[in-house]
Amino acid sequence: MGKYLIKRIITGLLSVVVVVACVMIMVYSLLNRDLVFAADTTYTHQSNNQKTVYKYSKWEEYGYLDYVTYSDYLSMLVDEGEIDEDTRSSAVSFGRTADADSELVSEYVQKFTEYYESRGYTVTRLDAVMMNAKKVATGGQQQLYAYKDVPLITRLIKYFSGMITVDNIHNVEEDIGERGLTFTLYDPVYGGDKLSPAIMGNGTTHKYLLYMTSSFPFIHQNLVSINLGTSYTVNSGVDVFTTMTRSQGSYVSSTITYPTGLTEESADDLHSATYLAGSLGTSQVYATRYTDDYTSVQTVKKGASKIGYSFMIGILAVALSYLLGVPLGILMALKKDTIVDQIGTVYVIFIIAVPSLAYIFLFKAIGGKIGLPTTFDVEKLKWTMFVLPVISLALPSIASLMKWLRRYMIDQMNADYVKFARAGGLTETEIFSRHIFKNAVIPIVQGIPGSVLGALVGAIITERVYVVPGAGGLLTDAINKYDNGVIVGVTLFYALLSVVSIILGDVLMSVVDPRISFTSKDR
Amino acid sequence: MSRVDYEKYGMTKEELFAPVEHNDLESEKITAPRYSYWNSVFRVFFRKKINFVILGLLAVILLFTYVYPALVDYDRFGNLLDSTTKHLGPLQAMKQLGYNIHWILGSGSSGQSTFDAVWYGARISVSLAFVCAAINLTIGTIVGALWGFSRKMDAIMIPIYNIIGNVPMILLVSVLVMLLSANFWTLVLSLTITEWLFVAYFIRTQVIIIRDREYNLASKCLGSSSVRIAMKNILPFMTSIIVTMTATEIPSYISYEVFLAYIGMGLSEMSLGRLIYAAESAMVTPGWEFEFWSPVAVVAIITVVLYVVGQNLGDATDPRTHM
Repeated sequence: MGKYLIKRIITGLLSVVVVVACVMIMVYSLLNRDLVFAADTTYTHQSNNQKTVYKYSKWEEYGYLDYVTYSDYLSMLVDEGEIDEDTRSSAVSFGRTADADSELVSEYVQKFTEYYESRGYTVTRLDAVMMNAKKVATGGQQQLYAYKDVPLITRLIKYFSGMITVDNIHNVEEDIGERGLTFTLYDPVYGGDKLSPAIMGNGTTHKYLLYMTSSFPFIHQNLVSINLGTSYTVNSGVDVFTTMTRSQGSYVSSTITYPTGLTEESADDLHSATYLAGSLGTSQVYATRYTDDYTSVQTVKKGASKIGYSFMIGILAVALSYLLGVPLGILMALKKDTIVDQIGTVYVIFIIAVPSLAYIFLFKAIGGKIGLPTTFDVEKLKWTMFVLPVISLALPSIASLMKWLRRYMIDQMNADYVKFARAGGLTETEIFSRHIFKNAVIPIVQGIPGSVLGALVGAIITERVYVVPGAGGLLTDAINKYDNGVIVGVTLFYALLSVVSIILGDVLMSVVDPRISFTSKDR
Repeated sequence: MSRVDYEKYGMTKEELFAPVEHNDLESEKITAPRYSYWNSVFRVFFRKKINFVILGLLAVILLFTYVYPALVDYDRFGNLLDSTTKHLGPLQAMKQLGYNIHWILGSGSSGQSTFDAVWYGARISVSLAFVCAAINLTIGTIVGALWGFSRKMDAIMIPIYNIIGNVPMILLVSVLVMLLSANFWTLVLSLTITEWLFVAYFIRTQVIIIRDREYNLASKCLGSSSVRIAMKNILPFMTSIIVTMTATEIPSYISYEVFLAYIGMGLSEMSLGRLIYAAESAMVTPGWEFEFWSPVAVVAIITVVLYVVGQNLGDATDPRTHM
């Protein structure tokens, strides 16, 4: 079993990698890159060479290509100690055309061209666009840059190697004093009196690596972080995983003690403090609150995260569908060909045949008529708001559970072992509960992990119709906004969930039915 | 044959055996009632009286979907400039624009007839579903049958299935829509480019189940060729499975089109999905509800009728029901 599982997990992970590669090819190679600028007002306001350069720098941000300007190259040379600052400043201003370059400049331009062309880059030099003999047109300054499409393999390796990062004390590049970890029993965030162990770091990206709060799961960590890809348009600069898991809604203020000892009503979450180079000196506010450069904090918000809302609704819907679907399916099988069976069949046909949009709207209209809230309001959350989304989400799974359980039960009822059990004198109740049901429910059991994990993904239509701030619309949102980072990250998340749920389903099935075994030896 | 005096033994004619001449050729024939597959299919199908009603409904729907739009000259922007014709309920619309079939569902946001718009949309949606189902089921069945028969192919196809099954469908559709354009054939392409694989997988499982049954082994021992086994032993079982599958597939393409339109990735033509999407705001506006519920109701009726016809036909094509 163990060996088999490991093999399944490895093949599953491999197929996830291939899925991510397929999606990367789709979004980075197949899609028209110019679409990125469709709604970009900064782009439309620029002109001439400036526009071209802006295009390339944006494409680099979106991860399409590697883009280096001539001045970047010179700065790199300075960092490497190859040239000094004076040479850089005199070499950096190249002429409006190649002929106008000074000797020094043309030497470095030559070097730049050779350096990048040998690495497969395309080097482009745009001559200045002139309005007249002397004046340069708006945005028409001369430009020199090199660019190269990021190859798929490099992109994949970079993506997967950067997925899990462990914070360490050498993360901060600047001089920060003595690097190291400190352990305290009395977390200073709580004023230093309350017993609350915490591990803090100096030199790490996060200030708090391990700490305790009063909210579930009580012990929290910042040591290991998961990066699924940075967003550009959906949630600018924030990782997909954070976008999905960060709480939403209005701020929650509480009395907190800043490192300087200042006590204030604020929504800042000091446990989330990350390093921001030189930030302490930039603002008077920071100076009164913080003692070091760990000033970038998140805020405490009232609501749950995107995944949180999706999961709340999803898991309730899953519970409801199993609670209703299983007994109803059994009832239909028991009362086969009676009015109960026929009503059930009509319901199943209705749900399968009618587009989900139609019955979700129907239930929204009915629910609205009887006074249930039809929109989700994070600020004034009431349990009644969950009723309609949960029911809408549960309807199709109830129908499919009823359909399949009825089918499996009826198939089992005709099996020879049932006739044998009946001939052996068992009562009908015994036959149904201990023989037929047990066998019929096995394929149903396999789907349970899938439906529970599927609740994390969220439902596109249900969430849209009831205005739930869930994770369901994330992928469509990202596609509409050409946010490649989010598309790839969300796809990876979906693919991982589906691989895990299929494996868990098989494991659960073999637990329920001892006859099912995945090792060839036991067969 | 000599005459026997039955009366002498006190027996009737039926109670006595009569000798039969031996015939080598005749004794080899297996006598069974005459059986024709397709005759039995229709006999079983029409045994249920409800099927006449459903078929009648299907005929009416197809008439409205394909014949009605061809006969009627529908201009979506015909009443655009007349502000009094917009968002009317059925009664008002008929009072204002004339008592005819066009206005029985009221008028829409640009004064167009909702009834005509719905059937024009239905033509696009139903055609899309038919075309997609035809392509997917043809390719899916052929590949699935080969996949089920060949173990070598199974080893290649299963990883492909696992990978393609995990690429989000919405992403694929949107990439294709952006690459090409949001027209009918793009949507056909995006609904068929991977979807046939799921049909093939389903058929493969069914073929594997039937392939290894004892009667096929017996048939092989009696000397049937592979083609005969495929055509005579397996195909009749597959027919009912394929028909049942068609019954679920066609409505599912209509539903999918509606879903895509609703999330803003569908056709640019006014299909049923686009109509629902465009009229969403009308649902909550008092007096405008007809604009929204008409396409929703028509979509529901079309899909239910297609589904029920397919399911019942699927039952009838199953040889086990022919007893």
